This record gives sequence, C-alpha cells and structure tokens, in this order.
Amino acid sequence: MDEGFLKEQQVMESDLNSETSHKSSVDFLMDWFRRRSIFVLAYGTGCGAIEMPPTFTSRYDAERLGIRGAATPRQADVIIVSGYCSYKTLRRIIRTYEQMANPKYILALGSCTVNGGMYWDSYNTIKRLEDYLPVDMYVNGCMPRPESILEGFMALQKEIGDGKISSWQKYEDNYAFYRKNQEAVLGQTVAPAYDADWYLYDGGL
Amino acid sequence: MFATIKNRFATTDIEVKREDLYKVVVQRDAIFELIFMLREQYDYQTLNAITCCDWIEEEHFAITYILTTSDRKQSFMVQTMIGREDAQIDSLTHTFEQAEIMERDLHEMYGIDFPGNQNLVELSLENWVHTPPLRREFDTLEFVNNNLSFREGRDGNMDVKKEMKRLRALKKAQKAAAKKAKEEASEVSDGN
Repeated sequence: MDEGFLKEQQVMESDLNSETSHKSSVDFLMDWFRRRSIFVLAYGTGCGAIEMPPTFTSRYDAERLGIRGAATPRQADVIIVSGYCSYKTLRRIIRTYEQMANPKYILALGSCTVNGGMYWDSYNTIKRLEDYLPVDMYVNGCMPRPESILEGFMALQKEIGDGKISSWQKYEDNYAFYRKNQEAVLGQTVAPAYDADWYLYDGGL
Repeated sequence: MFATIKNRFATTDIEVKREDLYKVVVQRDAIFELIFMLREQYDYQTLNAITCCDWIEEEHFAITYILTTSDRKQSFMVQTMIGREDAQIDSLTHTFEQAEIMERDLHEMYGIDFPGNQNLVELSLENWVHTPPLRREFDTLEFVNNNLSFREGRDGNMDVKKEMKRLRALKKAQKAAAKKAKEEASEVSDGN
C-alpha cells in the first residue's frame, strides 16, 4: 500500500476533509482549478530530462492528475529543473522563469540541484539552485524515477490546493538577494532586470 | 613511408601503437609540412581530432593531430610540443576546415592561441575570465570554494565514521547479550 497507484490514489483523496475547508468558496475553487491544471514547460536540463517523457506518456500518464506539457513559458505554470545546471543553462533558466506568468512554480529534480551532487567540485556548475531561484519542491534521487516525480507533483498540488505556495512572490520580494547571487556567477549580463517593463524602454509603445 | 618520414624529418622512431595506429613526434616547425605530406602522398585525408595534453612539469603542451586515411583503416598521430607560456601554434584551418572548432576548443580550455584561425571565439563557456579551466595550474576545488556556496548539512548531522563505530559496537553488544541469554536458557533447560 506504500507505493504505486494505490498510494497515489490515497494521496489524492487525503485532503478531502483537510483543515483548509475554512477558505472561501472562490479561493477554494481557484486553488482547486490551479492544482488540477498544471502545465509543465517542455524544457529539460541535465540528465533528468530523460525521466520526463515516461512521466508524461501512457505508462505513467501524468495527465490523469491534470499535469500536462506546455510549449512556451507564457503558457506554463511549472518549470522542471531536471538535474545539474551549468552557468550557461542557469542563464537560460532564469530568463525562462522570468518570462512565465504568475502563479509559477519550480520543481527541482535530483541531488545536483540540492547540493551539486556528483558535480560538487565542477568549476562550471552551480551547487544550490535555491540561491538563484525560489524552489517549491525538491524531488531527490539520481535520477528520480517517474513515480517519484509524480509524487513530487502531487505534493506540489497539495500545497497549491492549500494555498500555501507563493514562491514567485518570494522571488519578487527578495529580488535583490537573488539578483546578487545570479550576478556573482553570471556577471552583469544575467538577463534583463525582472521588474523592468520592457515595453517602456526605447520610447515605449 | 616510415623511411621517408624518418629521413626527411629526422625524428625519433615511429611508434606503432596498434596495427592501425602510428605515432610520431616532430619539431613544431616541421609538423605542418609532415601533415601536408601525409595528406597529399599517403591518403591521410581526414583530420579526426586535435588534442592537447598539459605537461606542467616539463613546461610544455603536447599537441597531437590525429589523421585518418580515406578508407578509414589507418590513423596517424602527429605530435609536437609547444611552450606553456604564451602558447601558440599556427592554425590548420587553411588545410582542414574542421580544425576551426577543435582549435576553438583548445583555445578555450588551454588558452592556446592559433594565429590564422578567423573564428577563435568561445565555444561552450560563457564570459569566462579566469584561468582556462583545463590548464593544470587551475585548481577546480579552490575555484568552487571561492565562488560557490554549499548547503550546510541537515540538522542533527552526525559524523559518519563515529556513528558507524557506535552502531557497530551497539550491534556487537546486542549480539553478545542475545548469545548470553541463549546460553542461560539452554543451561536452565539442561537443569530441568
């Protein structure tokens, strides 16, 4: 009973009588809609991307939980950082994350995003992802199997349903901290400043 | 072929590393002449790779050009040494176009200059300003410690060696106690 589809079923049903029933109906509905329609950006870094196709295709069929792919950052809710990030990849991840619309979540896979993993002494790989971006959920393993990824997703869904996650808010509030860390490894040319309205530059629209 | 190369370039013996792989070390001013000769006369038409090895104790880089014949049955390693300080060697792009990207790689990883290569820009790193990372004086761990931070261990993190010793002692004691109890039990049953 501790693994497989029965466990997943249990996790899905466990919050039916949870403590969050005091929320207003609108909040409850919004969170419910959000947790049941998670669009995952089709983007993979590192070796963990290889576990995502089985997660999303018929063997594990993430769509039965409302998790499916999205083609562009503007349409996506979740970005999966699936493994080690080199500096060069980090720049792209930051840029992609900043293009996504709120609410947005980060799911980090593998030991590499936690503490560098087997790349702990690499000159070109960041060690702690959460220094640079706000991570909502870590799924550990090297690599995590699709079951683990699904369980990570369900934990994320539960937090979304409870209205507990606001990492994008955290990113905006502590932007100076994140930007400082990003500039420390990427130099001054990280990405355009996050709070800048690009359409106001160069004369604007 | 071996005799020609030896007479003309007066180097050490040609090493037969495998039946399909030869190796020769030449002076740096003769290496391009040898490569042209191999290409024109002996059908070594493909440049497979340019590799570099950092011999920091002998103060030089060993640059190796690996050539292969058009029937893919023979390979030839042509090696030369260049000084580590201000390392530079002429580009091979005018003969083999594919040398461009290999030279870019060496330029990025070892800081070797290739005069004649028109496109000597960075290949896989971005905005790298430190020592080229594959030179042996570059200390990777020191770089990581200076530039990146590790997560501290979890709360209640324990010394693994100490903990293993403690657990082993505990297990031993438990085993001894179990044995003793068994012996006592058998003694009691014998008494009965």
